[in-house]
Amino acid sequence: MTTATGSRQYILDHIKKATVSTAKPAEFRTEVYEALHRPYVHKGQRSRKETLELMIERLREYDAGVVETTPDKLAATIAAQLAESGRKVFVVPPGLPPEWLAAGFEFKIDKGLAHAEIEKTDGVMTASFCGVADSGTIVLHHSDSEGRRVISLLPDFHLCILRTSQVVETLPEYFARFTVPPLLATTISGPSATADIEMTRIKGVHGPRFLQVILVHDEA
Amino acid sequence: MSEQLDHPILDPRYAPPFPKAVLPVLRNPQLRKNVAHAIDVIQTKRARLVAEKTDWQDLRSSASAIRMHVLENLGAYLEEFEKNCTARGGIVHWAKDAEEARKIVLDILREEKAEEVIKIKTMTSAEIQLNPYLEEQGIKAYETDLAEIILQLGKQEPSHIVVPALHVNRAQVREIFSESMHLKDLSDEPRELTNAARQYLRGKFLSIPTAISGANFLVAETGSVAVVESEGNGRMCLTLPKTMITIAGIEKVLPTFKDLEVTLQLLGRSATGERMNPYNSIWTGVTPGDGPERFHVILLDNGRSSILAKETERQTLKCIRCAACMNSCPVYRQTGGHAYGSVYPGPIGAILTPQLMQMQHAQSLPYASSLCGACYEVCPVKINIPEVLLELRSQVVNQDRKKLAKLFDPMHVGLLVAGRIFSSAWMFHTAQWFGKIGLKLFTRSDGWIHSLPSVGGKWTQIRDLRALPDEPFHVWWANRKKEAR
Repeated sequence: MTTATGSRQYILDHIKKATVSTAKPAEFRTEVYEALHRPYVHKGQRSRKETLELMIERLREYDAGVVETTPDKLAATIAAQLAESGRKVFVVPPGLPPEWLAAGFEFKIDKGLAHAEIEKTDGVMTASFCGVADSGTIVLHHSDSEGRRVISLLPDFHLCILRTSQVVETLPEYFARFTVPPLLATTISGPSATADIEMTRIKGVHGPRFLQVILVHDEA
Repeated sequence: MSEQLDHPILDPRYAPPFPKAVLPVLRNPQLRKNVAHAIDVIQTKRARLVAEKTDWQDLRSSASAIRMHVLENLGAYLEEFEKNCTARGGIVHWAKDAEEARKIVLDILREEKAEEVIKIKTMTSAEIQLNPYLEEQGIKAYETDLAEIILQLGKQEPSHIVVPALHVNRAQVREIFSESMHLKDLSDEPRELTNAARQYLRGKFLSIPTAISGANFLVAETGSVAVVESEGNGRMCLTLPKTMITIAGIEKVLPTFKDLEVTLQLLGRSATGERMNPYNSIWTGVTPGDGPERFHVILLDNGRSSILAKETERQTLKCIRCAACMNSCPVYRQTGGHAYGSVYPGPIGAILTPQLMQMQHAQSLPYASSLCGACYEVCPVKINIPEVLLELRSQVVNQDRKKLAKLFDPMHVGLLVAGRIFSSAWMFHTAQWFGKIGLKLFTRSDGWIHSLPSVGGKWTQIRDLRALPDEPFHVWWANRKKEAR
């Protein structure tokens, strides 16, 4: 594509001319960037207990279901939640602990399942990377226990396991939890929704219509 | 939907000037009611959620500083993005204008042998008028955002950049859907209408292997792209197809991944009054086994680098497309979006559109504002829209000043004379004296002037003018000092 290459130079030349008085050479640019004033709240002021309460409150405001449990009762809680959903067939990522896969349900382990296969399941169960209480957001980095992006998208029901040690109060605290940014990330704040018709909030458009969260108290 | 026929297509080259385009809207009470209702709901939610954020002003100033820093160093950050995106398997294209961007999209689609394409709402695609172009080329583009489906099936134009169908009410949506989806028994319940859209699109998501998106942010440090959405249609388009094409304005880049902690906190609250929108997707090039196998990014200039060159106007490019400015604008609230004759309506449209058109078109838009400043106050990246509006107004005037016809324009001549008179005290006082006598002819017994001839009539058409006082201020002031002594 010769024209495209030409345009690259054309655009960069234009930008260079336009920013001739402001653009900094590389080493100064980093310095200037790092010196940018960022007075916003980085770390929240709430206690752990208040932060977790806020996370639950926010999730419920989004119409997501939340149940709390402890690590030793997690497998039983999962079984109970799967049963309560009234669904039978679940897609799961390959990296979930085997004890999470409760007896009496069919689990399709995703090792590159076709979209049509995933579409046929009743629900999905995944772990998660982080919870942000301020906005009730769950973040997935799509590791082996969180699954490919598609499995938490097509099924209508998402059972998400979040440990209290993963819950932070503010969004900047989430960004402080890693030094190397993820290649893939999805943030989920309640089930998919729209307000496009007369600003009436409707839960569930294309993503899962039901989000159920199990919060595992794993902190001392 | 006959009322919609009056609206111009949203191409600034052909759209009538704002004062003319606004007339059919002002005569359409249903449309004004729909717009006002939607705006009031968003505004109330936004105000509540912004108030609970104790560091809102700090987030604004940080975002403003980051965005300005990007613009000051745009070339370097774009090259960094290109390098990192390419290293992760993405293909980066550069388009200097709309025509070139459309051509790049078409070439990719031809190579993919695509006859259909699914789309997540993108302003850049609307800006380059991609859909009609693809249609001409025999490629069917399916919009997947609920509001965009309403518009596409109803053959209407968007009137807002975040909730583009806010001018349509539920009864009108029912009419559009029942006709085009052949659903006779559809009710006008938003839940049922939303469900109809879900059914309509499900098969398309699963079968069409090519998708087009925009980008909310590009991350230079990692080569990642971020898309912010609500319905999950975006995730479908970003995840299911084999080939993904993202069209992003060159100004969309952020230096580091961490900068998203600022912009993501501002965008949802500003746009829809949510603490966070339901879904954000961030991806980096191609991830084997997860999502598209081929990923193209088109970096679109289309006038942006010329805006960058101008000191006052540069801040226009800080915009993160949240639409808070139009939601807060007293003019937009009355007119809705169509009157702006551009895919970018409201205050940001009033400054962005004429500049994207190199000040050749849309010259009435800088005047489509009362300069009240509400837009500046809500802007999450602190774009001083009134300041840019005034700068553009002066450019419009200066452009016109060179035209010969201006010598015969009473307004122009009047202002030239006024400029001369105001520069000298004795001329001003004399003019005041003549004015007082002259205006007596038009002053009614109640002390007000209700109607003036010629250019003065433009003022009295919509407001009354107080008659000049018998004793001007400077006379009163001089006499007062004498008395005090």
